[in-house]
Amino acid sequence: MSYRRSAAGIVITLMIIAVFGAQAKDAKNAPPSEKIPSGAKVFVAPIADGFDTFVKDAIAKKKVPVELVATRDQADYEITGAAESQKAGAAKKIIFGNWHSREEASITVSNIKSGEVVWAYSVHEEASTHGKRSSAEACAKHLKEAIESK
Amino acid sequence: MQSKTRFVSLLLIALVVSFATYSAQASQAEDKSAQDQSKAEAKAASDIKSAPSDEGQLATVNNAKIPAYAKVYVAPMPGGFENYIIAGLRNKKVPLTVMVDRSKAEYEISGVSESEKAGWAKMLFIGSQQSNEQASIKVSDLKTGAIIFGYSVHKGNSVRGRQSAGEACAKHLKQVVID
Repeated sequence: MSYRRSAAGIVITLMIIAVFGAQAKDAKNAPPSEKIPSGAKVFVAPIADGFDTFVKDAIAKKKVPVELVATRDQADYEITGAAESQKAGAAKKIIFGNWHSREEASITVSNIKSGEVVWAYSVHEEASTHGKRSSAEACAKHLKEAIESK
Repeated sequence: MQSKTRFVSLLLIALVVSFATYSAQASQAEDKSAQDQSKAEAKAASDIKSAPSDEGQLATVNNAKIPAYAKVYVAPMPGGFENYIIAGLRNKKVPLTVMVDRSKAEYEISGVSESEKAGWAKMLFIGSQQSNEQASIKVSDLKTGAIIFGYSVHKGNSVRGRQSAGEACAKHLKQVVID
């Protein structure tokens, strides 16, 4: 009788371990649920060709609900990225009659504490009316949508 | 004497016939094994998934898969292409968690990229002002050091420049992530 009880106890214990083990494994690779909260402190890291300045301006212009800070230590989130701008050459002007520049930019927002990338966006404009300003405003507009989509 | 000769000749005929039958069977078996081998080779080749020719080739080593929401670090690449890959991962809804810190990651994406703007000749003769993009990425397991995925993309006329190349990499990376 006691043998049966102990065997049943072992089986139940093993089942519990298996269930919790599976849950622990699932929790390890849980989908990231973090979103940028409204009013979060954000630091914009230097980006090539001074694109960070355009991003800061665009964040203010598009009224993105974040607080920009001057140093990384004060921030909860960091914006990093890459940008490239190419002015229209003679060929583009003569053949296509297009004076607008070609803009490319990509930004990434990461949580400084957890080190997790929470949002990213890339933009490409073959003929950008307002140059870097257009691409920075596109980034800011989509960042605002991401924050307010909660 | 005559009966003995007849017996020997019959025995010789039987030997010749049996030898011929054996050689025919052996050649058939050889052909079959060769066919099996070629089938196996074709199957192994089909395991390596190929992408459309304009978007390059991808290869999964030993059919390795990346678990969903695995922590991935994207190493810096020339021209900040890592940002385009991260944006591509998000845009294509690849179920991976991108980390900024390499020490916290399980996998690493590294690679190279090159972008060439359209010159006057391309604009004049082809009438295209789109850039020529090429990029190649690989995904390695940081614990074992094994490379589990590789992909390269080349776009002669990339409508959205690096963004297109980054999204192509992300789209094909999604194929090896277990959702």
